[in-house]
Amino acid sequence: MKRFLLVAGLWLAGSVAFAVDHNNIDAGRPLSFDDAEAIAYRERAVEFGAKLVSPHEKSLGAAGALEFLYGFARDSHVSLDLDPSWGARAGSDEERFDIGNVAVGLFHNFNREVKNLPAFALRGDVFLPTGRNTGGADIRLRGIMSKTVQQYSHLHLNIDSTFVSDPDPGERNVIPALTLGWSRPIGYPRVFTRTLVAEAGVRSSDLNGSGPIASLGVGLRQQMTVRSVMDVGVRSDVIGGRSAPRDNVAVIVGYSVGF
Amino acid sequence: MFPMSRLILIGVVLLPAFQPLSAEAPMAKMSMPKESAETSVRNLPPMPDNLPVWLTNKRKNHIFYKQGRYNFDIYNIPKLAYDLNAVAVGHAMAYEDLVTGKAGTLDTATFDRINWVLKHPPKLMPDEAAISPTFGRRYGVLEQVFDWTHVLHAQTVDVLASIKLTPEEKDREIEALWKYYVDKVPYAVTGLPMNMAFLDGQPYSMTFREKYPKVNGLFWGYHWLQGAMYDMLSGVTLPQQKAAYDVQGDRYHKTELYRTNRPFMPMFAETSPQFALKYPHLANAFDNLHMLHDMVNDILASDWIPAPEKEKQIQRAIWLVSAQAHQGEKPGDVKEEGSMHDHRFMVGMPGMGLMKHGDEEVMWMDGMGWMSMADCHHCSMELPQGKDAWKASTVTAEGWTMRVRCPLCARDMSAETKGRAILHIPTEDPRKTLLVISDDAGNLHTENPGAFFIEQESSHRKCHRWSQAFSSRQALDRYLSDHPDSKDTKVVSFAQWAELHGKKPDTYIKPVGPHGPENPYEKKGME
Repeated sequence: MKRFLLVAGLWLAGSVAFAVDHNNIDAGRPLSFDDAEAIAYRERAVEFGAKLVSPHEKSLGAAGALEFLYGFARDSHVSLDLDPSWGARAGSDEERFDIGNVAVGLFHNFNREVKNLPAFALRGDVFLPTGRNTGGADIRLRGIMSKTVQQYSHLHLNIDSTFVSDPDPGERNVIPALTLGWSRPIGYPRVFTRTLVAEAGVRSSDLNGSGPIASLGVGLRQQMTVRSVMDVGVRSDVIGGRSAPRDNVAVIVGYSVGF
Repeated sequence: MFPMSRLILIGVVLLPAFQPLSAEAPMAKMSMPKESAETSVRNLPPMPDNLPVWLTNKRKNHIFYKQGRYNFDIYNIPKLAYDLNAVAVGHAMAYEDLVTGKAGTLDTATFDRINWVLKHPPKLMPDEAAISPTFGRRYGVLEQVFDWTHVLHAQTVDVLASIKLTPEEKDREIEALWKYYVDKVPYAVTGLPMNMAFLDGQPYSMTFREKYPKVNGLFWGYHWLQGAMYDMLSGVTLPQQKAAYDVQGDRYHKTELYRTNRPFMPMFAETSPQFALKYPHLANAFDNLHMLHDMVNDILASDWIPAPEKEKQIQRAIWLVSAQAHQGEKPGDVKEEGSMHDHRFMVGMPGMGLMKHGDEEVMWMDGMGWMSMADCHHCSMELPQGKDAWKASTVTAEGWTMRVRCPLCARDMSAETKGRAILHIPTEDPRKTLLVISDDAGNLHTENPGAFFIEQESSHRKCHRWSQAFSSRQALDRYLSDHPDSKDTKVVSFAQWAELHGKKPDTYIKPVGPHGPENPYEKKGME
């Protein structure tokens, strides 16, 4: 069950994010997918997030997100993030405050979009067992492909594989996931500060035999100042096996600052 | 159960779906040339040998701007900041429409769309790449060149608009920004003066301005603003900057954006000569960038060039103005006159390469006729250079900015112009420039009415001595006590000075072009 915290953290609370621009889509800000663009070389960014969750068959809970990113080389950045939680949460009977797992990530973009060639990127995250009832460091690899469609819309395919180092009995040691994200700036040709995002995803439950979990989400990223973006979104694990730990709905809000 | 194999299967099914939705496929058809590729290619200049690999790079190469406490201080002057935001939108919209088969309505529908944004400028800088995604996918390296030099534009203007930096810190930071600009990437634009006749003398040159005069007018209007703002912001206080932009912004919106009769793009030294003299490498880089815009526009608008050849010619155009192509060369160097490596500049103006139809002595300046950059445009006497360059006044009117030798020359020249004018008049202290604004009726106003002048009119051979401005009565008195020979000089307050009008300068000589006094652009059909 504790694995759900890891997976949920990966998907919902916002792990690594990109450049602070409403058009650059950040995992967790507000949905779970990444686009294939790293933050700029020598850019720093801090991202804050909060969400209210309604776990399946549980009372309400809340979670936060705090992330720091640094573009350490061209087309590459490192990240450090923390996802604390309060109250009820899927996949655990724990309701006490949990600092969550600290994650250290590395992101590399291989190419920008060139004509019909999509942009490709790879990221890896190591989740250190700093949260309650966790043991062993887990690793997630994510392949990302971004492609422009119909001039202004973009598709972002994320393929994940999370390797669990110390699974409990009945838990998987490899958790695959696939997310198709969509983004489109809205308001053109008169407004240039807003991007609509949506996603559909499917992931394996962290419990053996509990079937896949399918999710949907929609959100908005709004440029607030030259350096900051606010995001809001709502996500739901719409389909899942009876025993699969999942959230009925999560309402997310965040704020990102680049400097 | 949801094994990885199923996920992979879903991915395989989804991936091909990306292709048919692409905006690339129909564009290729729309770019079909009118003439045969063989004929077209034969007329185009060959690609240079051994082009560097960065010209075909497929990386994003996004580099963050130089850190500084002045960043975004352009928002101290909100009207100017917003207008610059709109400039970014205009460029991107036009490029996107050019490469997505909408060139036919560029001067109508696209113009109207851009014009709406110019009249309702966005409060935040838009992401140009997001507005022109198709253009970016096709010409990504060009986008990198544009973006990187636009960052230099933005940051240098932030420095000038900053109220956190001293004048000395501003000078140092502008040079530091230049170093950052040229050192960090291989695709910086050269700061050397380039021969504009060569760059604008390609087989495709002038196509865009002839086919799309209204959108070209907008582009040149943007470039006018991007040039004019530097002298407008230099050496004056924030309230003065705002007052000056009330005049310049009005000119920009009412006139400069909609001009379709310019013979050539606005040059930096025509709109900010003091800045171009002080920072010739920046002025040249910005002019070269703007010329690259023109070359790219012309290539894209030339239907006779096959699409693959357009990509090559754009690569060549980037190379021609790149810093790397001119490594080791210096201002004034000439490998071959009228070529890519002709770095001669106008006498008295190292921040300006040789212009079409002109020579090192004179150039044809739109609205002014033949002009020498080394001499006062009012009295023809030599202008101060080097460390004394700041002692020249400037007059901004009718879209140009001219250096003049003394306050009288500035005042009288502004009186001869139509519309409002801005006078930058140096005082005894380089940090206390007197900003004077002339209204439509020629009445002069300043935010420092306590300024004083000496004006003992005589031959203009020494006008810089007998016509001087001082920031205060105390400063004037100090000058008079230090110069006993001036004790009988006529002293006037600002209000008195503003009512004076001098005689026609005895030293004035109207410059003439290398082949006569006529407008060479009219004579030669804007060649």
